[in-house]
Amino acid sequence: MTMLSHTFQTLADPTRRGIVEVLRKGERQVNDIVEQVGIHQSGVSRHLRILHEAGFVTIRPDGQRRLYSLRPEPFRELENWLAQYRGLWEARLDRFGAALEEQRKCRKTPDKEQHS
Amino acid sequence: MSDKSTSAAASATRAKMVIERTYRARAKELWGLWTTKQGFESWWGPEGFRVEVHALEACVNGALHYDMIADTPAMIEVMKQMGRPSSHKTHGRFSEIRPHERLAITHVIDFLPGVVPYESTIVAEFFPSGDSVRMVVTLDPMHNEEFTKMSTMGFTSQLTKLDKLFGSEKR
Repeated sequence: MTMLSHTFQTLADPTRRGIVEVLRKGERQVNDIVEQVGIHQSGVSRHLRILHEAGFVTIRPDGQRRLYSLRPEPFRELENWLAQYRGLWEARLDRFGAALEEQRKCRKTPDKEQHS
Repeated sequence: MSDKSTSAAASATRAKMVIERTYRARAKELWGLWTTKQGFESWWGPEGFRVEVHALEACVNGALHYDMIADTPAMIEVMKQMGRPSSHKTHGRFSEIRPHERLAITHVIDFLPGVVPYESTIVAEFFPSGDSVRMVVTLDPMHNEEFTKMSTMGFTSQLTKLDKLFGSEKR
């Protein structure tokens, strides 16, 4: 599995996306995340471990607490991929526009006197 | 002819992508490029490929069957290096048809070894305004032919070829 596929697979889980949404607001400890995501702490911890292993989340010890926050790298990777994907489709629509123009030229040629 | 101020929006988590273009044309003309054999063949397919349509029935649940054929030496070589044939059959259907307004094409992605077959839907909507039409194409990159291709075949390398095309048409 490519790194990008792994990235997508990690985010495919709605609970993990919920955790990412919570962490978008800033650093949080597990209890805060549990409260906002609405599942049991063991579930949140499991998903946090997966997010951490996939590089989405970093952990900072603060005394007895462990604070979780997002890392930017995998999101940049996603952004880059989406930009490339968008580029593919933009190229396809460039060809669409060229085909449209060609089609219009062909139609205008035989009866151009009848149209403005 | 087209407004190059293309807008695109994508959410990494929802993974829906919207690409818009405005063309100085009538909706009927755009419609023809999606719903006729000649029109479809004139533009469909990723860079380096052409398509040969075998069935295109522009009605709800109408068939859309075509071959996707690598048609540049570079792409044929890429396919060869990947151990893949230079063409493959693609099957789909028109899952929604509202003439000159909206259509949806659902492809069955069943041609990739080791990839569980899945369906991928592309929606195109047409919004006439004066002498122009805004075309809005909605895609799901995570469950899409291109996504699978790019993931499994290193297809993104082809993107570098597109720079010239973008440059030549930008206003």
